[in-house]
Amino acid sequence: MRFLCAFSTLAAEVPPCPAAPTARCGAMEGLRAGSALQPTLHLPFLPRHFYRAASSKEHRLNFWKSKEMCLNYIQDALLQKQWRRAAEFLTSYIEALEKDFSTKFMGPSEMIWRIGSEILCNHSHRNMREFSSFIEQMKSLGIKRYLKVCLEHAFHLLCNGLIDEAYRNLSLAESWRFGELTVVQDKEMKLIQAYRGLLDYYTWSNQKNILLEYGKDGFEDSSVEQEMHSCFRKAAVSLKEIIKIPGVWDLFVKAYVDLLEFYGDHQEAREVLTDYAYNSKFPTNPNAHVYFCQFLKRHGAPKKSLISALKILHDIVPSHELMIDFNTMLQKSKKRKRRRLGLEVIFAVLDYAGWKENVKAWSCLARQVKQIVISEKHLNWIKQEWNSRRDWWPAFHFSRYLAKRNWQENESLSYEKALVAGVLLGKDCKYFKYVSRQGCKAQVKKFRTLKKFVTKHSSAYLSISGL
Amino acid sequence: MEFPGALFPSYFGSGPPNDEAGPAPAAGWGERGEVLQAGSGRRQVLPPFVPLRGHEGESWTPAEAAAVPLLPPNVGCWVPGVTPQDILYRGVLHRKLRTGRSGAALDFAKQLGHFFVDHPEDAFSSLGRLLHKNFHLGDSRLRKGSARDTTIRMTSLVEKINHMEARRGCPQHPFTSHLRLFSHLCRDWLFEVPLGLLADCVHEELLLQWTSLLFDDSSTGGALAWLPPRDASSHVGCLVYPGGLAMNHLYFQDVVLEEQPRARGLPVQFELNGRIRQVAAARVDGQDFVGVRSDYYCGVWRMPGKTGAAPSSLQVIHTDVPASCLTVSPHLSGELSVCTQSGAVYLWNVETGLQRLRHDPQTMFFRDHSPWRWSDFTAHPRVLSCADRTGILCLDARAPTSCHFNFFKVGEEAKCQQGERVVLPMYLGRAHPCQHLVATQFAMYLLDERLPLVPVLKWAHMMKAPPLLADIVPGESGRSHKVLLGTSHTQELLLLQYTGGSQMACQLTGPPQRLHSIASCLPHLPTQLPHQHHLLQQRLSIPAAGLAAVKHEQGQQDSLLVFQLSEAGDVFYQTLRHEAAPTPVPDQRDESEPAPTPDKGDEAEAPPGSPILLGSEGEEQEEEEEQTFYLSNLEVIINDEEEEEEVVATPAAPEEPEPHASPRPAPDVPSAAATLRYRRWLRALLQAWVSSPASSCGSGRPTLSQRRLFTRKELSEVAPSALQQYRLQLHQAMREQGRVQRWEPAPEPPSPPPSLEPSALSSRLTAAWKGEWGAMGPSGSTLQRQRALRERRRQQKRNRAHRSLSASFTSSITYQSELSELSEGGTPRTPPATPREVVVCSQPRTPPQSPNDTLLSSQELQSRGIPKERRRTLRDYLSMWTEGPQDPPEAPSSITVQRCIPSSQSSQSQLSSASQPRRKRPRMGF
Repeated sequence: MRFLCAFSTLAAEVPPCPAAPTARCGAMEGLRAGSALQPTLHLPFLPRHFYRAASSKEHRLNFWKSKEMCLNYIQDALLQKQWRRAAEFLTSYIEALEKDFSTKFMGPSEMIWRIGSEILCNHSHRNMREFSSFIEQMKSLGIKRYLKVCLEHAFHLLCNGLIDEAYRNLSLAESWRFGELTVVQDKEMKLIQAYRGLLDYYTWSNQKNILLEYGKDGFEDSSVEQEMHSCFRKAAVSLKEIIKIPGVWDLFVKAYVDLLEFYGDHQEAREVLTDYAYNSKFPTNPNAHVYFCQFLKRHGAPKKSLISALKILHDIVPSHELMIDFNTMLQKSKKRKRRRLGLEVIFAVLDYAGWKENVKAWSCLARQVKQIVISEKHLNWIKQEWNSRRDWWPAFHFSRYLAKRNWQENESLSYEKALVAGVLLGKDCKYFKYVSRQGCKAQVKKFRTLKKFVTKHSSAYLSISGL
Repeated sequence: MEFPGALFPSYFGSGPPNDEAGPAPAAGWGERGEVLQAGSGRRQVLPPFVPLRGHEGESWTPAEAAAVPLLPPNVGCWVPGVTPQDILYRGVLHRKLRTGRSGAALDFAKQLGHFFVDHPEDAFSSLGRLLHKNFHLGDSRLRKGSARDTTIRMTSLVEKINHMEARRGCPQHPFTSHLRLFSHLCRDWLFEVPLGLLADCVHEELLLQWTSLLFDDSSTGGALAWLPPRDASSHVGCLVYPGGLAMNHLYFQDVVLEEQPRARGLPVQFELNGRIRQVAAARVDGQDFVGVRSDYYCGVWRMPGKTGAAPSSLQVIHTDVPASCLTVSPHLSGELSVCTQSGAVYLWNVETGLQRLRHDPQTMFFRDHSPWRWSDFTAHPRVLSCADRTGILCLDARAPTSCHFNFFKVGEEAKCQQGERVVLPMYLGRAHPCQHLVATQFAMYLLDERLPLVPVLKWAHMMKAPPLLADIVPGESGRSHKVLLGTSHTQELLLLQYTGGSQMACQLTGPPQRLHSIASCLPHLPTQLPHQHHLLQQRLSIPAAGLAAVKHEQGQQDSLLVFQLSEAGDVFYQTLRHEAAPTPVPDQRDESEPAPTPDKGDEAEAPPGSPILLGSEGEEQEEEEEQTFYLSNLEVIINDEEEEEEVVATPAAPEEPEPHASPRPAPDVPSAAATLRYRRWLRALLQAWVSSPASSCGSGRPTLSQRRLFTRKELSEVAPSALQQYRLQLHQAMREQGRVQRWEPAPEPPSPPPSLEPSALSSRLTAAWKGEWGAMGPSGSTLQRQRALRERRRQQKRNRAHRSLSASFTSSITYQSELSELSEGGTPRTPPATPREVVVCSQPRTPPQSPNDTLLSSQELQSRGIPKERRRTLRDYLSMWTEGPQDPPEAPSSITVQRCIPSSQSSQSQLSSASQPRRKRPRMGF
């Protein structure tokens, strides 16, 4: 791996140079036209033929040009998976560090880090030592990106199963101080702490498992227990920190709640989950609601609160898979209002293309529709639900093509669907006709009863369709 | 439809983007993004963490060295696109402007000039007609008393204008005060359309052209659609694409997927009344619906159930404002969504008609000037997504005003950069019912409808132009989905893979991969003559207009077919093969050979097979006058009459076993089949080019027809043996790649005709040759020129009646007459001055009257309806133009330069100087 050494040593020789304040590149100046002449879209790279070179800045321009060209070659090689060729070009590109005039967001040092780690990841992904030594040099190359590089390094170690080394790296990065942190750096620092906390949590849960296992045998080790508690403290502090900030923190929230629950702090756990799910500053993450519902279920919360939590999830994501359980739960309920909600929920689920061929969902609907039709009460519920779907459900669910296909592919699905179709669209509907005929032909008993059922309750169809 | 149990961690902010980052050329590399614990908390599972951006993906390798043409070229389309050179000002003024603030100066004055010269009737007709009587253009003095009062002589003015024209491009040409005065005087009243108004309009139009040159979003979505086979067992799909002269024909072409895809039968064709911008297709209940968008019309077609029947057109709608989007619903048959540039979004049902869901000329989240709108379907058949440059909104078609939610925002929510804009949204329903792709000029985002505003995946794509084309190939049974992103102007094509969405969170797997662009096949085409090479280069680098990908399984081999459409209507394809077991060495090229540099176009060898063509040359030549010659590797098509046997002869060559064919993963040389396709495509293109009107005008190659050189009668007059000899000479010269010598042993070259003028000219030229041009100075040269002109005029007066007007009444007449004169006597009158001169160059004229001068005699001019007083002017005017080509041969002795231009070029120069259409037009309408 000669080239690696080459580009590593080269990189080490060049001192990190602070971004010098310089003028913009001359070539770009020619493009700063009047506002009317600017493209409607801010483009990443203007086409080559638009560039016009200014002669006075020849020298810098040449350097800039060759730098650009070199970068293009690297890009080209990377996109064709020619890692070695890219590495060869990268050794030349390292010269770009010498004149790092750029005030741009991404200077050569960051590019070298990105490209270098991409090459090393893909080309010699088994050789962790090489990668680590490269990253160590990259860390010293720029202060602005120190934390980012540390974080990415830790990710790389974690993905390769080197948990302990990653932990060491994260704690080292955590102790890094360099003046005031920028907003971005602050975020990165919080993330580093959170990941360190997460690893603490894993150690804790490991030790917990050990203790639980040996605890059964009457074996107690106070040192292990102590260590476990210190892990808990470290994990809890840093995890608590990050989940206050708006974001998607599924991993951290789960870990933190687990910690709290183990130590019996249910109140705090509940608060954390409520905040994660219902704080308006957070994105509407379905998982937050799922975790909250799961927590409620675990702790035997009253049905009412569970239903209200699921109702909110239904409003946010009507197509969530928990809605099937929600519907089953509501169907069993004695309250009319809840059964009504159940029907609404299952209709909404089946609106989505992803549930189109789900037997479970269709059987839920079929069961409830059958119930209502037999009891002959609340037919207006079905009517209300059907009104907004009347014009597109027949084409979406009950076309002749689908009847044929469902019958061929999934008989029980076609049975459930045929029942719903028979009730909603009457016995002359294409879907019902096709499936019941095929079912009778195939001598399947349930289809015969289905036919009887639909014919018997044809009045229900009339009242649903408003005739 | 499960939702992943845990998502990758990310911050969530709101508000405008904070990130001031500009375009970062390497932003997409080297990051893991975030990590997530895979599995259910058991630490024994390895690896326990998975990255957002993984490095292990499926390995797809290109089967060919470049993109290969699938269909014959779209031969009708020769209209060249607008280039920056056409509309930008280059010259003195520009240099001044560049120091100022405005960088790109639009040269609307040039366009105005073109308009005045090309359409004088439209520009000046009425005043030209009015002033007709009052302007005298002749040389003679005004005699009649009454005429003298109302008429002015404009002769000198016209002369000056002509001088200006002659010195166009000369940086030091002085404006004469006379001319300036005149133009100042007539600026207000001479033009049909007031000059200011016209200039405003032209400038406005140029501005539009310039913006569309910088970024043209009209072809967003792409105009190529693949309709998959009706049942899995058959391998016949259908490709829908535009073609024809103005890309206004819609083609439905059956394509058989085999080892190499091939077209089956002739395409079904529909002629539409507008350029096709977008073709969208979707399959609902086993039926394919194809939506076609042009600027003001949108149409929908349904594919027939039976094979062999023609697709049926269902409905067409007309919009007042150009439509910017048309998508076909994948859920309900006959449903489409249409957006117009006025900001309206319609749900279009073939049965129930149009339903307007939204109308908002303003953009959604912040102010942006672009009128571009897009809309697509979502997992819920009644919910549509509406996009503009600032973000995406989802709304329910049943209650569009009340039921909606923000789906994507250009802002801190998705961690966008400043200046980032939505370029292409796409519903990925075929891969996962809830996923959407959003491409901006910097990054691609993957969004899940169930988690709005937060992209589940983001990757900086680093493409040089905004991706306007995209397609997805869903991966079945846990395999990765393949996303293809394509740009229009730069023809970039990127293949990305991702997994997840249901049980696991979305992950990008494997490094992105660049696929071949259409232009990449240029080095693999047979070597061409420079002008043909240039033509090819232009043709192949035309922006891409469509993209379609299809997965095709053949036995054990998985392959991915990518079809590309160019704006000229050419369809190319490339095949990628899946390597089932990824080898431990991820780098395919490392061990085999040093990687080639990207710009290796010149060193790319011609495919083996082309030199073999030399063999068939001999006997064909003997048979009869042969128009096609093969000089080692060069294909020279002299005339447009292509012999049938040639067509048969050419493809025979590549069918020979390919010596270079090897099972390497990424070949550098196209396979035999591909070579055959290249050759066929190239031949069709060049044939069409030669016969197309575009080849004869503008930058096209001048064609030299033998029929115009000699009539059959003339040829028969020459002794057959002589004819044979000439022919042999011609062939030999071509074989040696030399020049044709004179027809016959030249008689004594006659002394150059006595003339005063050439001495001045020759001295000037000699001076110029010695590099003293600058020393002479502009004043000196103009003075000399004026003196020369004066001398010339004096001489012209002397032989007043019978003037030697040569060469350029119109190009064709002159040309023919000159040549007929040449062949009439059997011997040329005046052999060329330089011994190695080409035959077909302009001959120096002796002052005495030559037979063809009758052409320009008074009678002739009269018979052509030219008024008496103008005949003179016309002659003068025309004689100015003969000056150029005539001068050099007149003074060969003083010029030391040997004219050694190959015959075709010299004739070209003459032709172009004589046949410039602009120069023979009357100026300014009088």
